[in-house]
Amino acid sequence: MGEGEGGATTAGKSSRLTIAGRELAGLRAEKTILLAVAIQLFIAAFSSFLVVGLVSMYDPGALGGAEVEVAGAGDAVSDLERAASEVEGASVTPYEDAAAARLAFDRNAADAVVVVNRHDEGRISATVTAPDATVETTVIVVQLRELLRTYELNERADRAAYLSESPLPLPERTGSSPYFTFTYTVLIPVLVFLPVFISGSLVVDSITEEIDEGTLELLRVAPVTLGEIVDGKALAAVAIAPGQALLWLLLLRANGTPVANVPSILALMTALTTLVVALAVAISALAPDRRAAQFLYSVGVLVLFGGATAMAGGPANAVARLAIDSADATTTALVVAYVGIAAVAYAGVRALVAENGFES
Amino acid sequence: MIDRLRRVLRVARWEVARAGGGVDRRTLLAALALLLVAGGVLGGGLAAGAVGLDVDRDVYRVAVDGDSPYADAVEEAPALTPVPVEGAELGDTADLVVFDGGGSRTGAVETVAVRASDTRKGEAAAAEFREAVEAHNERLMAAEENATAAFPITVTLQYVGRTSGLDDGSTLGEDDGGSGGDSESGDGSGGGDGSTDGGGSDGDSEGGDADGSGDPVTADDTAGDGLAVPSVGGAAFGADTVGSPGSISPPFPFVSLLLAFVFLVPMNFLIQAYGSSILDERTNRRGEPLLVTPLSPVDIVAGKTLPYVAAALLVTTLIAAAVGGGPLSVIAVLPVALTFLAATFVGAMFARSFKELTFVTVGVSVLLTTYAFVPAIFTNVTPVALVSPLTLVVFDLQGEAVSVGEALFSTGPMALGAALLFGLGLGVYREEDMFTQKPVARKLLDALAVRLSPVEDAGFGDFVDRRRIRALGSVALLTAFAIPFVFVAELLAVATLFALPVTVSIPVLLVTIAFIEEVAKSVHLYAGFERGVFARADRVAVAVGLASAVGFFLAEKATAVVQAVGLTDLYVGRAAFGSVAGVEGLSPVAVAALLFAPLLLHGFATTVAAVGASRDRTYYVLTLALATLLHAAYNFGVVSIHG
Repeated sequence: MGEGEGGATTAGKSSRLTIAGRELAGLRAEKTILLAVAIQLFIAAFSSFLVVGLVSMYDPGALGGAEVEVAGAGDAVSDLERAASEVEGASVTPYEDAAAARLAFDRNAADAVVVVNRHDEGRISATVTAPDATVETTVIVVQLRELLRTYELNERADRAAYLSESPLPLPERTGSSPYFTFTYTVLIPVLVFLPVFISGSLVVDSITEEIDEGTLELLRVAPVTLGEIVDGKALAAVAIAPGQALLWLLLLRANGTPVANVPSILALMTALTTLVVALAVAISALAPDRRAAQFLYSVGVLVLFGGATAMAGGPANAVARLAIDSADATTTALVVAYVGIAAVAYAGVRALVAENGFES
Repeated sequence: MIDRLRRVLRVARWEVARAGGGVDRRTLLAALALLLVAGGVLGGGLAAGAVGLDVDRDVYRVAVDGDSPYADAVEEAPALTPVPVEGAELGDTADLVVFDGGGSRTGAVETVAVRASDTRKGEAAAAEFREAVEAHNERLMAAEENATAAFPITVTLQYVGRTSGLDDGSTLGEDDGGSGGDSESGDGSGGGDGSTDGGGSDGDSEGGDADGSGDPVTADDTAGDGLAVPSVGGAAFGADTVGSPGSISPPFPFVSLLLAFVFLVPMNFLIQAYGSSILDERTNRRGEPLLVTPLSPVDIVAGKTLPYVAAALLVTTLIAAAVGGGPLSVIAVLPVALTFLAATFVGAMFARSFKELTFVTVGVSVLLTTYAFVPAIFTNVTPVALVSPLTLVVFDLQGEAVSVGEALFSTGPMALGAALLFGLGLGVYREEDMFTQKPVARKLLDALAVRLSPVEDAGFGDFVDRRRIRALGSVALLTAFAIPFVFVAELLAVATLFALPVTVSIPVLLVTIAFIEEVAKSVHLYAGFERGVFARADRVAVAVGLASAVGFFLAEKATAVVQAVGLTDLYVGRAAFGSVAGVEGLSPVAVAALLFAPLLLHGFATTVAAVGASRDRTYYVLTLALATLLHAAYNFGVVSIHG
């Protein structure tokens, strides 16, 4: 009796593996997986390009600074000069009046005009004129903001007596690229989750295609149960995901971005892949045809990840914290929770499909 | 003609009826239910305060004493998480330790020192901490009663165009752009009058208190054509600090861009349905009945595509109406929609299974979305942005004038590209190709070979044979048609390599561009030899190679518009499109040499590749590499001459 059961289990296992192997062979023959990796590479390259480009626009200091020449005027211009001496990448040239400063601006001798005047009751007004819609406008405005903030700090310090609570002293400025935070909080989560979507989409296609062409009926004549077919397809889809993620993480490491807690990240993303694959199986079972299934899957994944990212402790944030090595007990608990949710979801969907079969 | 239209419409009606059955009411209800659930969860989360789009939440650990005033600053910064000082070890349990200069109970902190772990993470944490303290100070000051002491400086920011323009004549349709700029810039006398764009800043320059002036500014901002221009008083610190230096935000057409992106989102769903519909015809020979009717493939494809074009138009019009765009937005998005559909059509004609189609569709979405979206980011920065029609949408949303020339330059290439892609796919819309399973690359060769005419190996005496001339003409034409795609590929290369340092990007770019051009000139020759359209002989190879080079040369010269939009002002751009630019100030002989040197180069390089293509794949790959190197060397010479 026991022996017979054991034999059945082995048979079930091998048929699952056979189906999984067949799925993978199909992917290999079509070389689609290469296309998938190429797409991911393209997305990664482009998002980096975008961020480096934008960061260099917003934070000129980050990529080897730019010098902004300011034409200053007004009765408080000497204070502005003092502030400029404390700011890197900005210098103030005083002019006798606003018109002269403006003339210098029009002649391209200055990047911007700042007219500072003291008023009664101690208030200072600064009228800033920046060029309209040229390449440098953003850079100039960013530097001007830095300059004026420094000026404000100085003025505020002079009036500390009138304040009920004085501002906290700032720590020293350190050179750090915002690209660092971006790499860990956006780039790594995106690269880790792209394979998840691809796997789910593969399952939807694979199952609906079989239903569409009637080959699922053929498979059912073979000595495999519906549950085993689902297992095999899911296994193939889940199996290819962590490899892709690992590839990206290794690539980043080779590029000098150390990624911590790789096993936990892979466990988390495998759990999410299982969850998404379960969703994909459920949708293919319920939707009337492929078009509807792909549509529902896209909407479902958008909803799932949009919602999960917005939640505190969402998977994107969990991956970021793991990768940057700021994980704590909560993050570990979160990973375990995701694994649990994924297991329950998959088991539920599998039972549902094994019970009711696919609609067609 | 009318007959044909009627036929197309009949196919279109049939397609609508079929597609209507595809996504039924139940599916739509299910999707709606999903969205509702998501909305409910998000809404509940928002209400409970558990929702926030902080992907960087708690990524840096800061060890700070609970009594220290800095603890509040750390607590309020989402990216920082406080850890107790006792037992905190740098690099292990904390990334940063804060030592305030004693006196934490009196509230008057004199100095502060931080010690960060000696890694890039430590540096990043220190920078983040500094920002957190700045934000904390802004909040402290906002609570002060004496607003003049807390915010001694009030900033009025205005944007004006220089009277002696920086952008002399670098744009197409200069007149319109220029006058638009002038009317907008005003004369800069006072903050209130001018610049429609910078209008958000004059809020409280006269007012004594910083309170309450936030409202008019916000109103200004939303009224300002949905443009996210330099608004003083952004969301960062709330409306209380309007006008203080900390609240200046640099100009960036963020909202317009976001809205422009909204136009692209429905395309992704549309091409999914369209791709399925085309591939459906090809699985189980379902399309065969249609093919044996008197309908031509063009009728069938036009009819099947029409409903999706109509849907795209409808959705685009709705979105335009919703976000405040005009007819220009719709006109600009239409070629994008057509290109999405055309690329999907080709993909569905080449794909072997739905799985493969999914990847093709994802690839199409990603590529086209980036191509349309990324240049639009630089809308107000450089005229290069006009290569994407979305830039027109951003202009439209900003209420800026666009000249006919600009509109044509922006939409023309994309529309042409869409037409060419449809042409390519139509070549294999026939029985022998539709229902066979071949790898995508081989299908592509088939589709190219369909457009070629046979070239036999004949003596040079027959060179003037009319059929032969026509066959070589078709080779040249096919090469010329590849130009828009070469242009797109080169732009993408420029865009991706833009971020690298010039010493790296220029050589890589030169080789990449040489490779793209050599492939465009020779891949159909390879297809011709492989499919037996051309006789495998060296003489034939030389003839088709030269024909292809001439086609490329002529078409490239026709695209001298590149120069007109000022792309060559960029250093990287000059490297890419150098051969069509920078002839002024040279002697006529040099000009003639410069004009014909590319022809010689193209002729020689393409002939090399063609001879390889006439042998087999290995030879082709080798000669293609050789041709690329030759071409790259020539480009390098040109760039170093031009400086």
